[in-house]
Amino acid sequence: MNATQNSGDVANDVNNIAADNAANNLNATGEAPLLAVRGLTKKFPLRKKLFAPPLWKTAVDDVSFDIARGQTLALVGESGSGKSTVGLMLLDLLAITSGEILYDGRSFASRSRAERFALRRQMQVVFQDPYASLNARMTVRETLTEGMAVHRIGKTAAEREGRAAQLLGQVGMPAGALDRYPHEFSGGQRQRIAIARALSVGPSFMVLDEPTSALDVSVQSQILNLLRRLQREQGLTYLFITHNLGVVEYLADEVAVMEAGRIVERGTVDEIFDRPQTDYTSKLLRSIPSLDPEHRKLAPVA
Amino acid sequence: MIQSAPFPSQTLLQVEELRTHFNTPRGVARAVDGVSFQIERGQTLAIVGESGCGKSMTALSLMGLVPEPAGYIENGRVLFDERDLLDLTWEQMRDIRGRDIAMIFQEPMTSLNPTFTIGTQLIEAIQIHGTANGEEARRRAEGMLAHVELQNPAQVMRQYPHELSGGMRQRVMIAIALANEPKLLIADEPTTALDVTVQAQILNLIRRLQRETGMSVLLITHDLGIVAEMADRVAVMYAGQIVETTSVRDLFHRPLHPYTQGLFASLPARARRGHDLATLEGVVPEAVAWPPACRFEPRCPFRWETCARVAPKFQPAEAPWPTRCHLYDPEIADRPMRGTPRSQQQVARDLETAAAAAHTTEVAS
Repeated sequence: MNATQNSGDVANDVNNIAADNAANNLNATGEAPLLAVRGLTKKFPLRKKLFAPPLWKTAVDDVSFDIARGQTLALVGESGSGKSTVGLMLLDLLAITSGEILYDGRSFASRSRAERFALRRQMQVVFQDPYASLNARMTVRETLTEGMAVHRIGKTAAEREGRAAQLLGQVGMPAGALDRYPHEFSGGQRQRIAIARALSVGPSFMVLDEPTSALDVSVQSQILNLLRRLQREQGLTYLFITHNLGVVEYLADEVAVMEAGRIVERGTVDEIFDRPQTDYTSKLLRSIPSLDPEHRKLAPVA
Repeated sequence: MIQSAPFPSQTLLQVEELRTHFNTPRGVARAVDGVSFQIERGQTLAIVGESGCGKSMTALSLMGLVPEPAGYIENGRVLFDERDLLDLTWEQMRDIRGRDIAMIFQEPMTSLNPTFTIGTQLIEAIQIHGTANGEEARRRAEGMLAHVELQNPAQVMRQYPHELSGGMRQRVMIAIALANEPKLLIADEPTTALDVTVQAQILNLIRRLQRETGMSVLLITHDLGIVAEMADRVAVMYAGQIVETTSVRDLFHRPLHPYTQGLFASLPARARRGHDLATLEGVVPEAVAWPPACRFEPRCPFRWETCARVAPKFQPAEAPWPTRCHLYDPEIADRPMRGTPRSQQQVARDLETAAAAAHTTEVAS
């Protein structure tokens, strides 16, 4: 939203504006964003030697952005740019080195242990590889009800089971899938199960980390339609991490481009795709194959 | 557009009725089931389709690398430079592999041996085919690394695979593949594991080398964007068969087979923002249980009862190029639309309507 007013600005200005808004916790429309990230930084020790000071690798470097309720922010960039690290910190699954994350206007740090535990219900994640992210030894029923039991959703096992069956319906899977194991399903179906698991605790925010990158285009379109429908029906807010710019163009409200741990550019889809301000974004856009054999984008063959 | 003029139309590879089957506990899997295509010298043919359609198994069959003993080539001819590769012994085939036909795979980490330096592996590839030896082989190896645009080739020669990035490893794989100047390069999803910027570099590199050496390329991919960038001709594979094949221009201008149309319609794009994408409902069936008549019938938005009973011809009379579909066959009396080619917008609309209907029944059930 901030970038809408400042399409010509480069990253630093965008970050400054984000910081200004942080002071009053408002975004451009005057509504508090669901998620506000300020100066987020993560450093990993490269190697630890006894008595020697560790060397640090800065994976995420002073990253700031907002995501308004019900909106989708796409975080794009090459592998190693820090996209997924940002996602993990937003989910409170990775400690922050510095900076802060405000969820509903309050930072993680200011919350008690119990509050942070309760917050996990609000924030869920869907990973790239549904072959790795589902427990092969758990039936779909167990996968879908475990989170509910942990967060004490539903009074009895039967109640949770009923809800699990309902969730399967929401993601377009038959209720008969409950007693089956992940290996009995195709990649697209597994991703539906992973989405149902994320929904099982009733989140308002989801990190989608390359959720369709391992899928064929025909299955990708099914999953994208499903994610859009869920967002519409349940008012979900998404952080969509991907390197697939076609998906970004279709799905995102705003785009943040990451390079080497920093956000180099932020804006709406039209701003980023039609008027990229940085060389890096232009290079990314030029690398997308054209889908038009008469106007190839890669170097022409003489 | 690409090198058609300077050469007389000359076929390097001609594949006829190739069938590669597997014995499985649940019956015979017909992974490749009657595939025919040809590649001209200097040209690029792309085979495109979803996973499980038999693309990679087609490539492995050409290389004589079908996993034995479960897999075997049931039938077919693979004429390479007018020699049938399927008649050759293992030793003769080993001689052709890596010298006349080279292959690069999706994952360059698993294709390189982690315990040897790049130099050792590259020199081995050159020496094994006896095209050069000793110092000459080493010089050529280093030259190949420079050729694939790796900075500081002398240093890369001494490095191990884990010291290189994914893009650098794929460049090394290409250097090894091209070390003996093959006539045909088979590239199986060569950039799927790479970032989009690195992908663009690798695709550019393959095209440059192709231009310089005049080699042919068989490109296997599921990415229609890469097809548009690279291919001269395209073969769309579904369930072990080629369902449509023509020039890249024709295919992108006017896809005819409902499967091809579905692949195009399911691509996310800015123009479709706010609308559901068209989908191909369901998944590719298993190779032990291909549908009996038209294999795409269970997923086809245009199917009618004949499709489940009669297998469509490879090239029905009203199709301007091979399109395995009754819609273009005037001999099929009860087809709903008389094979009139529809515009892309019409196709997209029809597919969306069909998908919406399918979705409603799915939720209801």
